[in-house]
Amino acid sequence: MADEESTLPSHRRDGIKSSVHNIAAQRRRKHAITLGKERREVLIRTKRMCIEGLANYNEESLETNMLIDEEKAALDTQTSKIVEDLKSALRLQGKVPTERKVDMLRALRHLLSKTEIPPIDAAIRADVIPALVQCLSFGSEDDQLLEAAWCLTNIAAGESEETKSLLPALPLLIAHLGEKSSLPVAEQCAWALGNVAGEGEELRNILLAQGALIPLARLMVSDKGSMAQTAAWALSNLIKGPDSRAATDLIKVAGTLDAIKRHLQMGDNELATEVAWVVVYLTALSEYALHVLAKSEVVPLLIGRLAASDNLQLLIPVLRSLGNLIAGADYVISAVLIVGQDITDRAISALVKCLKSENRALKKHKELVFSSEAASFLLDLLSSAPFDIRKEAAFVLGNLCVSPGDGVRQPEIIVNHLVSLVNNGCLPGFLNLVRSPDVEAARLGLQFLELVMRGMPNGEGPKLVELEDGIDAMERFQFHENEEMRIMANALVDKYFGEDYGLDE
Amino acid sequence: MSLQITQLLLSAQSADGRVRSAAEENLKQFQEQNLPHFLLSLSVELADDLKPPESRRLAGIILKNSLDAKDALRKADLTQQWVNVDASLKVQIKESLLLTLRSPVSEASQTASQVIAKVASIEIPRREWQDLIGRLLTNMTQPDTPATLRQATLETLGYVCEEISPQDLEQQEVNAVLTAVVQGMSGVQESYKVRLAAVRSLYNALDFAQTNFENEMERNYIMKIVCETAVSKESEIRQAAFECLVSIASMYYEILGPYMEALFSLTANAVKGDEESVALQAVEFWSSICDMEIQIQDEYDGDDVRSSDGYHNFIQRALSMLVPMLLETLLKQEEDQDQDDSIWNLSMAGGTCLGLVAKTVCDEILPLVMPFVEGNITKPDWRSREAATFAFGSILEGPSIEQLLPMVHAGLDFLLNAMNDQNSQVKDTTAWTLGRIFEILHSSNCEYQVVTPANLQRIVSVLLEGIRDAPNVAEKVCGAIYFLAQGYEDAESDSSILTPYLGQIISALLWTTDRTDVSNSKLRSSAYETLNEIVRCSQIPETTNMIAQLLSEIMNRLGRNVELQILTSEEKEKQSDLQALLCGVLQVIIQKLCTSDDTKLIFLQAADQLMALFLRVFACQSSTVHEEAMLAIGAFAYATGHEFVKYMPEFYKYLEMGLQNYEEYQVCSISVGVVGDICRAVDDKILPYCDGIMSNLLKNLSNAMLHRSVKAPLFSCFGDIALAIGENFEKYVPYVMPMLQGAAELCANLDDNDEEMLEYGNQLRRGIFEAYSGILQGFKTSKAELMMPFANHLLQFTEAVFRETNRDDAVTKAAVAVIGDLADTLGPSIKLLLKNANFHVHFLGECFSSEDDQLKETALWTQGMIGRVLAS
Repeated sequence: MADEESTLPSHRRDGIKSSVHNIAAQRRRKHAITLGKERREVLIRTKRMCIEGLANYNEESLETNMLIDEEKAALDTQTSKIVEDLKSALRLQGKVPTERKVDMLRALRHLLSKTEIPPIDAAIRADVIPALVQCLSFGSEDDQLLEAAWCLTNIAAGESEETKSLLPALPLLIAHLGEKSSLPVAEQCAWALGNVAGEGEELRNILLAQGALIPLARLMVSDKGSMAQTAAWALSNLIKGPDSRAATDLIKVAGTLDAIKRHLQMGDNELATEVAWVVVYLTALSEYALHVLAKSEVVPLLIGRLAASDNLQLLIPVLRSLGNLIAGADYVISAVLIVGQDITDRAISALVKCLKSENRALKKHKELVFSSEAASFLLDLLSSAPFDIRKEAAFVLGNLCVSPGDGVRQPEIIVNHLVSLVNNGCLPGFLNLVRSPDVEAARLGLQFLELVMRGMPNGEGPKLVELEDGIDAMERFQFHENEEMRIMANALVDKYFGEDYGLDE
Repeated sequence: MSLQITQLLLSAQSADGRVRSAAEENLKQFQEQNLPHFLLSLSVELADDLKPPESRRLAGIILKNSLDAKDALRKADLTQQWVNVDASLKVQIKESLLLTLRSPVSEASQTASQVIAKVASIEIPRREWQDLIGRLLTNMTQPDTPATLRQATLETLGYVCEEISPQDLEQQEVNAVLTAVVQGMSGVQESYKVRLAAVRSLYNALDFAQTNFENEMERNYIMKIVCETAVSKESEIRQAAFECLVSIASMYYEILGPYMEALFSLTANAVKGDEESVALQAVEFWSSICDMEIQIQDEYDGDDVRSSDGYHNFIQRALSMLVPMLLETLLKQEEDQDQDDSIWNLSMAGGTCLGLVAKTVCDEILPLVMPFVEGNITKPDWRSREAATFAFGSILEGPSIEQLLPMVHAGLDFLLNAMNDQNSQVKDTTAWTLGRIFEILHSSNCEYQVVTPANLQRIVSVLLEGIRDAPNVAEKVCGAIYFLAQGYEDAESDSSILTPYLGQIISALLWTTDRTDVSNSKLRSSAYETLNEIVRCSQIPETTNMIAQLLSEIMNRLGRNVELQILTSEEKEKQSDLQALLCGVLQVIIQKLCTSDDTKLIFLQAADQLMALFLRVFACQSSTVHEEAMLAIGAFAYATGHEFVKYMPEFYKYLEMGLQNYEEYQVCSISVGVVGDICRAVDDKILPYCDGIMSNLLKNLSNAMLHRSVKAPLFSCFGDIALAIGENFEKYVPYVMPMLQGAAELCANLDDNDEEMLEYGNQLRRGIFEAYSGILQGFKTSKAELMMPFANHLLQFTEAVFRETNRDDAVTKAAVAVIGDLADTLGPSIKLLLKNANFHVHFLGECFSSEDDQLKETALWTQGMIGRVLAS
């Protein structure tokens, strides 16, 4: 029978001079096992990234890159081949028939719109831009202009650096917006320029300096729906700011206001959507444009759209435009949306309409004043509508409670609006927004909390916020990655729930 | 009965096999029929001075083995058995054990002291046998206690301390034990054996002395007695005292300051003049101090550790005296040492300690060691040359590369020449030092190059000559080649300057594996592992042909091996060891060939033949082979992809054997991993085998005998299968989900204070999440609703893990991903759940502030998924 004799413990460590086979074998086996784990991760990540509807994620999906590496290499080769052919065709000026060049451009355009990762970089490396600029030269046939502009549109849709590579082509693209161009060419050029303008402030300023605004504004006047729509889209990209001058300039261009009104009144949803975005930026950035629009029939037209449509894409800019208008111009509240006026009823029914699309039971109290009436519907929106509408409703509601500020002082609170909203139970809705991962929504929520705590009579604001678990909601921002939000929330907590809070009781 | 058991115990030790097994059988029967009585009889036998020592000894051993076992489950069973024994019988047994301590027959009393400790290990943590310590102490305090009883009592106290943990004793008891022990150590009138027993008990009791070491007076007293004991006239006592000092160095590092001067001279004297067993412990004292200081430096991670309170800089302060003392030890080599890895003598311990000192003080060691190196390396006496080389090799890790590089440049040529030294030990150490230089300083991407196109040829030719030297030298040369090749692992270009030499090197390594002048298998293993590293670090495609040739050579070797007709068990073992090594090479080659499409063709052409070989190896049934062959199959499955399906009918049998091999849990664990590899390779084509695989996996999960480290991979494997077979996983849901929920509960109840349990808990959590992720993603397109009933539980579990302070990064990643999977798969139907469980906002916030890009990416994706649900 064996004895498990316990021996005295004796210190004994591994000597420094050990031989290699032990650690080597262990390392090798560990490495082999790790490989399996890594492959598991790669696989499941691929599965996760393979979802649609999360556009901002495309650049993150590294794994798909790996899988289509081969395909990408083939595309790259094909692309540079075509660019080379195009360049040699252009060198033999006149000797190559236009149709041949157009074929090449069309093939290139197809390649550049192919797959999730189009071979734009390969094309640029092959020096495609000068060739395309040459194709845009004055007097070229329409087909060639159209295809070249289309290629540039696709390139401009690429990465930031790729978009910037269009710089040498901008003057010609702008030139082809003019009256002498055929509409398809002008539209394609507007599209390319819209992509460029969307890239950022630097390129926007270049485009404005090169005079893109006026021809685009004229194109928006067009009766051809798709033309006006593309132009409106390009314009909203172009006037995004932060400088407000472009917005002011735009509203001053003869025909712009009329075009806006006309399209809002008669355009299809798509066109109205793009135009409404133009209104959003005009009202957000330019004081001048705001007043022009406030006094025009734009408000009723927007309300009409609100009443007539249940298209989310359209409702977002419409609600936001209305919010800007209500917030920015006394005139709208004091003169347009007056209790008892037809327009007010229409506004209410428009909001009701929004609610109807949510299939909710409705109560109409026509005799109530606008603020509380519209507000109650907006409140409903705030608590139950799809997230994006909710955000917009919050924006409008928030603006209902303040008189337009001058940008220096804090906006003044319209106390009775605020009280009425709070009494109607809007706080939980705003707190939900505060808790939302969407920074913009959270900001709207926090701003409203600030109003409540500052503006509710008898200083009951903080208590109300606390009752709705608002402190917790704000404290979440303590470690938020967005610095502005963090500071805002922390300042609010410090100010209203600091050391002195609750001492009075 | 008593007579009868004496006879049985004697017969069980008989030289006659038949008598022995008959007696063992009888004892077993007795034990099974009436365990309490059996134990009592044994204790009575052990206590009876009239019985022969042989029967008493075996009685004690059986008694001890009836209380404790190495295997944790068996141990738990035995504990329960003892607890169930009738209380009055237990009292009788314990009395009889205490009585045995008084026996003049030392064998009996020593055995009894061990058995008492085993009983104590069961009872004291349960707050039973509360008077044991008191009664033992009475033996020490009563006048006229015979020396044998004092010795046995001290030994018992030591064993008891070893078995139980500090929280099991009251401070008062600890004080009394320490007093008794220290008195036993210092009593002038005590016998040698009593003092030895006392100092050995102190070793076990040190852990209990936390409070006493915090008190300066008590601490001074204990340290004084230990230091005095370290210079006793008996070497065994001195050794035991130094062992206590080693233990104190790591347990009570922070209070050592005032004693360091005395400890230095104590250890220095021991290293210089004492017997080797004592000197080794004296060196170990300093190694332990190094361990502590390196550990504290690691915790500070780059911050200025020297200014911190907890860091006492002992090594640096003693450096100018410590280093010369250690260098002296290097000159005390044994003749013909180093035929064996396990050799441990003063020079080896000294070199090891010197290496630790270099890691602790970095550059500061160089001016103290380099003169010794330079002064000794050319001396005619081989000991001087070997010691100089060993010193140089030992200090390469720690100092900055800028400081080392000039020295290495100056010394490299010398070392290469020294490979021709007439002394084998000098060559051995030289080859090892070359290996260290390559390991620590050589990398093709490094700004400073040790190996250059100019000296590479010479290096290779010296190494290839050296590999033909004596086996011990050849093995060190393998190490040098291993690290030389590793330096080109991350080469940025697709060509390496080593490539032109690889042909010769591979031939030399293959030749080495065939050497017949070697007594053990170490050289062969080293040569094969070096070969593996060369393949792994080689540049494809420029080495493609070479690897293709090597593949066919290794396949030939494995083919010849499996054909061998086996005669003896020794040969069988050799055959199986070789199979393991060859499968290892094949695994590395397959892995390498699959890194590019061109080279993959080479593998695909050989695939059928390879699989035939692997199947033969599996048929040989040896656990180590299974392990290596399974790993190779994992690489094979990945490389063949969908094609692997055609091998499944034949391979499946062995996969099942691997999954069922719970005794050799590594085999089981690797087999579970291979299931995952196959899932990824063949997707839903694995379906026909899933019932079998799943039932084995589920069986393993409920098998208490299976090592717990396999449990987490089992869960991950569910995820792999679900991902592969998608909606077909439905039928396993009723079995798998309760397992996942049970494991989640288990995670919450693990012991937080136990490092190993923390690690286990993290692995388990990750495995559970991976299972959920796989199942959720697998069901996404068609059976999402099946997971609805589990969504709430999963969210709760994830929240619990989020609040768990000990979760590691891998768990965090898996947890945040699983929330995304849940949102992705279940969509709007969990909107309310997600709204209520808003911990995810904080969790995502935490992830976004991480440094880990992959974690941030996953968190971003999850945020998108949650956003989509909340906005729906």
